[in-house]
Parts: sequence; structure tokens; C-alpha cells
Amino acid sequence: MNIVLVGLSHKTAPVEMRERLAFNEALINDALSALVDHVEVDEGLIVSTCNRVEVVASVPAGVEKGIHRLTGFLSDFHNLPLESLDLHLYRHSHTDAIKHIFRVASSLDSMVVGESQILGQVKEAYQCAVRAGTVGRVLSQLMHRALSVAKRIRTETAISQKPVSISSVAVELARKVHSDLSDNTILLVGAGEIGELAARNLMEAGAGKLIVTNRTTERAEQIAREFGGGAVNFEAFYDILPSADIVICSTDAPDYVIRMADARRALKSRRRGPLLFIDISVPRNIDPAIADLQDSFLFDVDDLQSVVNSNLTERQREAHVAEAIIEAEVQHFIKHLRSLDIGPSVLEVKEILSQVALSEFKRNRKRMGNLDPEQETAIEDILIPALVNKLSHPVLVHLRAAARNGDSTDVLDELRKMIRID
Amino acid sequence: MDILWIVILTGYAICVAQSILALTTKRPVMRTTAFVSLAIAFAAHTVWLLLRAVQTGRWPLVGTREMCAFLSWGLVVSYLIAYRWYRANALKSFIFPIVLVLATIAAIAPGSVGHLDDINSPLQKILFPVHVGLILLSYAAFFIGFGAGIMYIIQERELKLKRFSAFFYKLPSLEVCDAISFKSMAIGFVLLTLGIAAGIYWQGMRDGVFWHGEPIEIFSVATWLIYLFLIQSRMNAGWSGRTTALASIVSFMIVIFSLVLQGMRL
Repeated sequence: MNIVLVGLSHKTAPVEMRERLAFNEALINDALSALVDHVEVDEGLIVSTCNRVEVVASVPAGVEKGIHRLTGFLSDFHNLPLESLDLHLYRHSHTDAIKHIFRVASSLDSMVVGESQILGQVKEAYQCAVRAGTVGRVLSQLMHRALSVAKRIRTETAISQKPVSISSVAVELARKVHSDLSDNTILLVGAGEIGELAARNLMEAGAGKLIVTNRTTERAEQIAREFGGGAVNFEAFYDILPSADIVICSTDAPDYVIRMADARRALKSRRRGPLLFIDISVPRNIDPAIADLQDSFLFDVDDLQSVVNSNLTERQREAHVAEAIIEAEVQHFIKHLRSLDIGPSVLEVKEILSQVALSEFKRNRKRMGNLDPEQETAIEDILIPALVNKLSHPVLVHLRAAARNGDSTDVLDELRKMIRID
Repeated sequence: MDILWIVILTGYAICVAQSILALTTKRPVMRTTAFVSLAIAFAAHTVWLLLRAVQTGRWPLVGTREMCAFLSWGLVVSYLIAYRWYRANALKSFIFPIVLVLATIAAIAPGSVGHLDDINSPLQKILFPVHVGLILLSYAAFFIGFGAGIMYIIQERELKLKRFSAFFYKLPSLEVCDAISFKSMAIGFVLLTLGIAAGIYWQGMRDGVFWHGEPIEIFSVATWLIYLFLIQSRMNAGWSGRTTALASIVSFMIVIFSLVLQGMRL
């Protein structure tokens, strides 16, 4: 058997192409049946997300035929001419296909390297194929291994440890200042998009209370309602400032909204640990000098972006470590596949040996004198299988070792000659 | 050096190496090894103290060797308590080097006198170990406060400079560092108060005078006053986390000085 893979991703195709090739939930079952409904495909599964479509299959004949079949499947199913697809597709077989699926599951091929969604999506794609009954021995082993490699990379490398978006960096910083967000109050000043996203992330991370203030009150009330928080008048928020633990500012005011004196007053009257200011507005809305006050921490959009950048660089570095793990895991899996390959031959060898033994027993039965039926069944059910196991054991050990080294076909040929299977 | 000390020092040295590695690398390293070596070293440490007590027929709190052995043991216990309360793994990297240094001194320091001649009444027999033991445990608590204070200062500095080193992400939040620092200072203060009181009472019973005016006495009371000031400033004047952290570091220096002073006396 051979493993082949045809697909396209954000790296090879624009979104217009990806959306035309996507398999949504309604289509996926039909697609899976259509995929395996062909002599050239034994098993198949489809990973379809907004960033990629991957069709993986185990094919009995040559890889060329298999790849051709998968390409044909994509173009037939979506009614797209092959020529329009051709440019965007990548095709992998054997080692490359295994490596590709490992890399995809481990999020090394993702737009944001190390993101965690893809693992769930790959798992879902596999389960979907299991439900549809389109995966068998080969692909289920491949997918199990892919998922375990992804988990290994997640724990053994720092590839997905640090946040790589502005709003998640804001949450991380809040956690470094305040340990328990649940008794924290967040004050969101202005309702800019990233500010709102940061507040949303903080609330989802377990922050206790949200207070929103905005020049247009309706918008503030709308956001506050969503999180069960409160909205205050823009003019009144200075009074709330001392009770806040995290202040997120994202207005379009042309000048500072929170000045030195405001911060000083807030810090003086709060007396309960540090105050974190996050200024996502451009031009800045919080006086940068506030950063110099004791117990106050201020991050503007550039600061957050530079954390994001350095975390991204770090992920790239970790990706190298992950690639090495993948390389080793691929080799390991290939050896495993090869020893799977001899599975049928192992049974065959045993079967032939026991047939020979049984027929010899029957042929020589008369010469063995009187045996009662009990003794006779004991010979057939106990002695002969034990002999077969004993005799075949060294042969099979040798065969498995040869398979792991990749030269099982030669050994099998020799073996066939020796015990005259053919 | 006895075999127990080789086991103890090796165990703590592995802990130190692992904790520093864990702080600077991205991947979890040798966690099980460190846990096992801590368990073995701590058990051996406890056994040594017990054996010592049985051999001498008194509490192992006399002389540099026993005091360092007991203090380092108390420090491990304090760390374990702090860890249970706050799950602050990183604290280990700041505490275990101190444990290792103290245990090394205990291992190589000359054995002390077998017994104290001037202790005879049963009450004194109890009061002396209570006095020394409590004071040493208070020092252990102050050391924990010092470790947390250092973590606070490092982290605060990185947050202010907005440049994050590899171990920034391993440190607990500022709030947790501050809580460990203050709580251990408060616990240490209570232990120190009781220890000093026991000492004064013990001395009064022995010599009939409560106060000799010796440097060690003056120093102990000075330490006590400094901590009293620190704690009350924090509670009433609303000292910031940074000030508390700095204070815990300064007071650690004072404790070390006072230890050296006692070491010279005994």
C-alpha cells in the first residue's frame, strides 16, 4: 500500500480558490464516500479548514495513479476544470505525505505557527472519516501517530507557549501583574476594535468585572451588557479609575485622555497593588510618563506589537526543534508501516507450516499405532500449533527485522522459494 | 564528611542545577529527577538531625554545624509550605542555592561541643531549643521573603523596561511574589518575637539578669525593630510591592549579618 496526499493551503492558493474547494459539514460525508468509491483508493480522509484542504488516501497501486485519482476527485467533486486547480495543488507521496500530515497536525504549516486550532480540526476530520467508515488500518495508524506527534511537539517544544496577538499579549501581561484575574476590575475606555477584543479576552480569561466608558453611551452599554458589566459616562470615568486594576484605552481622541495627575491620584487612593495600563490608541491616549510611576505599568500598541514579534521569532526557532522531532517520527512511522506490510505474510507462513504438519500427521497416522480420540485431538490442537510457532518464530523475527530495514521483499521472495508458497 | 552529608549535598545540588535549568530553558527538564533527589536529600537531612539528637541527648541546635543544618532544613520546610500555598515553582531557584550553601557549611564545619555546661534545670533544657529553634525558623521565613522579593524586583524591572527574558514567563505574577514576600515576613516576625522572648527568659533564669548588653542581644532586638517597622509601614502606610520587596532583601542582609555574628560567638 502507499500513502498519497493532494491538497492546497494558504501558502499555495488564494482564499477564492480555497473556498471553492472546501468541504463543509454537509458535503463531507458524500465526499468521503465518493473518494473511496474507486478501485484505486483503499482508504481516504479529508481535512478541510478555512486555510487548507487536504485529501489523504491509502492506495493499492502506484502512487502516480493514486495522485491522479485524488486530483481527479477534487476537480470532479467541485466541478472545477483540472487546469484551474493544477497550479495551486501540492502532491505528496510516501515519506513526504506522512511528513506533511505530521507537520499540518503539529501546526508547523499553519498561518500562525503553533496555533492550537488545527490539532482539533485534524482530529475532527479523522473522526468524521471513521464515522463514514472510510479509514482502515493504514490511515488510522497514520492519524493516530500524527495526533500523538502533535501533542509531543506541543509539550516538548515552546512552539505554542507565548501569545502572538496584541489582545492575547495584553491578557498575558495582566496575568503577570495580577495573579487572580477574578477579583480584578477592567476599565475599558473607548470602544475601539482591538480594545474591545482585549477586554473580551480578559473577561474570557476569568476577569471579575468590566466597566465600559465611551463618548457615545449606547456603544458602551452594548459592550457592557454582553459581559454583565456596567457603563459609565465618559466624564465620570475618572472617578472609577482608582477602583480599576487594568485600564484599556482605545479611543480616537487626539490627545491624552489619562494624564499624569489622573494616574497619580488613582494610584494614591487605590492602595492595593499595581495598576496596569494598556493603551491601544493611536495617537496615544495615556501619558507615557505614567510608566515611571511606582506600581504603574504602561504598555502602548508598539510595546505589545514588539512582544508579539519577539514571540513570533521564538516560535520560528522552536519550529526548527519541532522539525527535527517530525523527521525522527516520520522515519519511525515508516519502519512501523513496513513491519505492518509483512503482517499478511506472517499469517501465510504459519498457515502453510501448519497445513504441512497436519497433512503429514494424517498421512502417517496408521504408522503411529493406537491412539484414542483424546490423544489425537491433543496432537492436532496442542502439539502441531506449538511446533509451528516454535519453528516459525526465528523466521518471523528475521522477517520483521528485514522489514524494518526496508529489505523485506528480498527476504520474502527467498522465504517463498524455501517453503514453496507459490 | 559522613555519608549522609554526601547524600544530602548531592541531592540539593541536583535540585539547584535543575531549578536553574528549568528557569532558563523553555522545556521542562529533569522534573522527576529533581523531585526524587529532593525527597532523598530531605529524608537524609531529617535523619541526620534525629541521629544527632539521639547521640547528644539534646536538640541539635548548638554550634555552627547544627545551626546551619537546622536552618537549611527549616528553609526546605518553609519552601515546601510556600509551594503548597502558592504553587510558585520559580521560588526554588532562589531558595535552593541558599539551602545548598548552608548545608555545605553544616557539612564541613567542625563538630560542636557535645553539650552545654550551663544548662541544668529542666525548664532551661526546653527553653533553649525553643529560643534557638524559633529564631532559626524565623530566619528561614525571612529567606523565603527574600527569594520572593528578588523575583518581584526582577519581574518589575522587566515589566518596566518591556524587555522579557527567558525566565520572565516562569516567574509567578507580581501579586503572588508580593503575597509570598509579605506573608513570610509576617510569619517570620511572629516566630522571631517568640524566639527572642524565650531567649530573654532563658537568660534571665540562667544568669538572673535579662539583659547583658552584648552585641548579639542588641543586634537581635535591632532586627526585631526593623521588621516591626517594615510590617507596620506596609500595613498602615500602604507601601508598594516594590518597597516591600526591597525591604525583604535588605532585611535578609541583616539576618545574614546576625547569623555570622552568632557563628562567631559560638
